[in-house]
Amino acid sequence: MKLELHKISVRRICFGEATHVENGLLTVNREELKALIMEDRGLAGVELDLAHPGEDTRIMPVKDALEPRAKLSGPGEVFPGFIGPLDTTVGEGQTLVLEGAAVLTAGRLVAAQEGIVDMSGPGADYTPFSRTANLVLVLTPREGVRLHEAEQCCRLAGLKAAHYLAAECRAAAARADRVAVYDFQPLSETLARHPNLPKVAYVYMLQSQGLLHDTWVYGVDAKRILPTLMSPTEIMDGAIVSGNCVSACDKNNTFSHQNNPIIEALFKRHGTELNFVGVVVTNENVTLADKQRSSSLAIRLVRLLGAEAAIISEEGFGNPDADLILNCVKAEKAGVKTVLVTDEYAGTNGASQSLADSCPEGDAVVTAGNANATIILPAMAKVIGDPGQAEVVAGGFFGSRRPDGSLEVELQAIMGATCELGLSRIGAYTI
Amino acid sequence: MPVAHMASIVPISKSVGANRIIPTVAIPHPLGNPALPREEEVAVRRQLVEKALMALSADVSDQTVF
Repeated sequence: MKLELHKISVRRICFGEATHVENGLLTVNREELKALIMEDRGLAGVELDLAHPGEDTRIMPVKDALEPRAKLSGPGEVFPGFIGPLDTTVGEGQTLVLEGAAVLTAGRLVAAQEGIVDMSGPGADYTPFSRTANLVLVLTPREGVRLHEAEQCCRLAGLKAAHYLAAECRAAAARADRVAVYDFQPLSETLARHPNLPKVAYVYMLQSQGLLHDTWVYGVDAKRILPTLMSPTEIMDGAIVSGNCVSACDKNNTFSHQNNPIIEALFKRHGTELNFVGVVVTNENVTLADKQRSSSLAIRLVRLLGAEAAIISEEGFGNPDADLILNCVKAEKAGVKTVLVTDEYAGTNGASQSLADSCPEGDAVVTAGNANATIILPAMAKVIGDPGQAEVVAGGFFGSRRPDGSLEVELQAIMGATCELGLSRIGAYTI
Repeated sequence: MPVAHMASIVPISKSVGANRIIPTVAIPHPLGNPALPREEEVAVRRQLVEKALMALSADVSDQTVF
């Protein structure tokens, strides 16, 4: 499956008459986009706002982040099952990407657990969305709409907006700033081409606990899937969509699925250092039987691919740690070497046990940081959304909102702060 | 003091060092099952509590799943 990402760089967004992109400026017809979003009868209102890097602006609570993408050619359309049809797969042909832009869905939405994005100050270092030009949708569900329906309305609004922006810019595709090509070959071909390289699979764990901790694969609630094999190019076309209203630091927002750095790194080394043989998508369900079944079947797929090693990324924390460990133990026992990618909840001082579960086989682990570490976020001149949410977002606490307008929160509250796919800019090494 | 640990994810109970482990229903509803009719759910709840009481009085020499 060969996919070309035609990337147009966006540095600023403004509102104007016709939606188009030129010289790094994305102009958005505000009324047209509002009308598209308001077709959803579950919404009472939507306000559009803009936030750019360096501004004295805070956005909260943020539910999801998405990168504007639309198909230029090839089967289907982005976000299959929501925007694109289901009578074909995605991940082939050409896709337009408005690189540097993001859609953020925000406002007082469905539940407590949504995140903070600061466009400047100390908090900005911890979120990738302080570096993007953001179109913010402040959404208000209609009164009487039930919680799960409201989540769906907000999820669809983000998907529609991300698709609309790129689709309206198709005329500029010929002037793309760069084209990235991803050619994922069938197993028989890649084995023939690279017989001497170590075969590496990627086990991609998706949050699927219900209670608004959900992810969607081709429009299917991930808690209802059996582990399945995917081409990484399908994921770039939005085959995995976040519906998560869980801790903001380590939920995989849709943007991070579209731009998964683990997939990027595996492609980069494919054919030279390793043979990237496939992506196994699996879930994180709420009963032990489900966890046992999914880990058994996910590692069975890894073995059927003939993989000698696997990277396993977790989403979220707590009971998904048990899924991570089950995947690790079953792979290692089958002779598949593993590297685990996770984050830590080691208390504000970092001295507590980092994960809820562990195993001796898990001897190669990458951590995205300690989500319990606290940070003070200074007051901002402009707040998009609802600052009153600081004390109820996960990672916030009573007293989070201080009299001077600053916030004291755990990193947990910041969108993408400890992303377990590695979509972050802060790192450390042991000396 | 004997302790019975009632939780749905047994590997975590083992990891945290519980000695008497009673597997329960699911993370969002460990001691009940909203999918069942009320009478059947009451039976499930009673069964789990009785098993926990039995575990409390049992002699164990190692981590034990009841």
